[in-house]
Amino acid sequence: MTRTIFNRFGFKGPFALGFFVLAAIYLFATRPAPLQAEQASGRTVPVETVFRIVAAENDVARKLWTADIVGAGTKAGLKFHEKWREPSMEAGPLPALFLREASTALQKTRVPLGLFLGSDFPIAQSNRFTGIQADHFANLRKTGEPEFFNATDIGRFTAIFADRAMAPGCVTCHNEHPNSPKTDWKLNDIMGATTWSYPKERVSLEELVQIVGALRTSFGAAYDAYLAKVATFANPPEIGDKWPAQGYFIPDKRVFLAEFERRASSNTVERLMLSIADPKAASASATR
Amino acid sequence: MSKNPGTRREGLIKRAAYVIGTLLVLAGLALAYVPQSSRFAAKGPANTGHEKLACTDCHKQSPGTLRQQVQAEVHYQLGWRETNPAFGHDKVSNEQCTNCHARDQDAHPTHRFLEPRFKEAREQLGAESCVSCHREHKGVRVTMKPTSCATCHQDLALKNDPLDVTHRELIAKAQWSTCLGCHDYHGNHKRVTQQKLEDAYSTKAILNYLAGGSSPYGQDLKFPARRGAEQ
Repeated sequence: MTRTIFNRFGFKGPFALGFFVLAAIYLFATRPAPLQAEQASGRTVPVETVFRIVAAENDVARKLWTADIVGAGTKAGLKFHEKWREPSMEAGPLPALFLREASTALQKTRVPLGLFLGSDFPIAQSNRFTGIQADHFANLRKTGEPEFFNATDIGRFTAIFADRAMAPGCVTCHNEHPNSPKTDWKLNDIMGATTWSYPKERVSLEELVQIVGALRTSFGAAYDAYLAKVATFANPPEIGDKWPAQGYFIPDKRVFLAEFERRASSNTVERLMLSIADPKAASASATR
Repeated sequence: MSKNPGTRREGLIKRAAYVIGTLLVLAGLALAYVPQSSRFAAKGPANTGHEKLACTDCHKQSPGTLRQQVQAEVHYQLGWRETNPAFGHDKVSNEQCTNCHARDQDAHPTHRFLEPRFKEAREQLGAESCVSCHREHKGVRVTMKPTSCATCHQDLALKNDPLDVTHRELIAKAQWSTCLGCHDYHGNHKRVTQQKLEDAYSTKAILNYLAGGSSPYGQDLKFPARRGAEQ
């Protein structure tokens, strides 16, 4: 029988056929559990929705830090400085540096969400927009609306959102800083933009929750860094339930994050629910 | 009847071939299965401070069994899967480096170079990846050229320059080898930056440090490595 087959078809044909049959059995018929794919599975939302959610969360954190800690704290006698990390400096981070602390902490969470702050008139030259970011920021300056694009060379979907002068302190600090290239900022001006990036075009709902969680962890870590610095002050403020608006106090991490969550969560949950119920409506709602 | 000399020589060659073949197979098996022998498979000597690390500290096993990986590769080739699976070991990523070298402050954190505007730094230096500047198995500390600052800092201009010779002057003269004389790239040393060019560490001292020699920046680190690797 075997000899008849080899006589009729030669040796190579049956051998190749046998090889493919065995390979098919190995790979498909007796296959092991498939290797988990990295791409999102199940219900997904466009990364644009994710960017709008995290940008809104960041707005809340920035307002809370800028107005309730830096603004009120300065009046209460606390200091905030660009060289706050230096051991001899009894100060906390200025708003841009608080965001940078959060950005650094975000990387440690292993969630591949990128967060950066830049401008066309930055105090530190290394934060000046160039290239594709400068082009999109020019559009953002005209419209005030976020820009979305794909940075193909790094395989990252990217968004930039306006960063406005939300408190008088932003204006005076940037106008009076000796290295500021622009000294006529006004309240509510677009002073720069936050840039967000993520490697996927669509994100599962589980990932979305993880991303929001990672961002909140990062805000907590940035606040932890401030508390660690405060602990080195010769005359540290009382840390507890009170806020700088009430005097020489700062809230502890639990109180700070609880206030952040109180201000941010309803908006985030609404967008999450809408993205589940109707992705198009979620996108429209997110622009509000 | 005795064998002729030609046949005897052939027999000896055959036996020698069997012995050498067996030894080669045993050596291959030892490399594959005896952890201590994996050092011999390294591409070169470990970089400064990494001498005591095990291969698996950086080279992590790819997820799944070989069969799952083959299956996933076939799925990928057939268009049934979006991502190409890794075989054997994963590519060494920043994650493996920051497991030991995590820092709350870094003057040049790799993640920063994932911002779109640093395209030039990515293309010329690969600055978004630790191993672009710290290529492993070279027996040194840093493989980046000390003049690489030129990629990003050509247009540096300080309104209030703290240095006695201005940074603009140094840039105009393309004295890029002086940068590391005052600034350590990651800013991980507790020290005060020089304000006079004559106080800057010599290029020779910097090159010696990059090659694995003693640090001119001192030994007092803001964030020491977790496993005792030097930085």
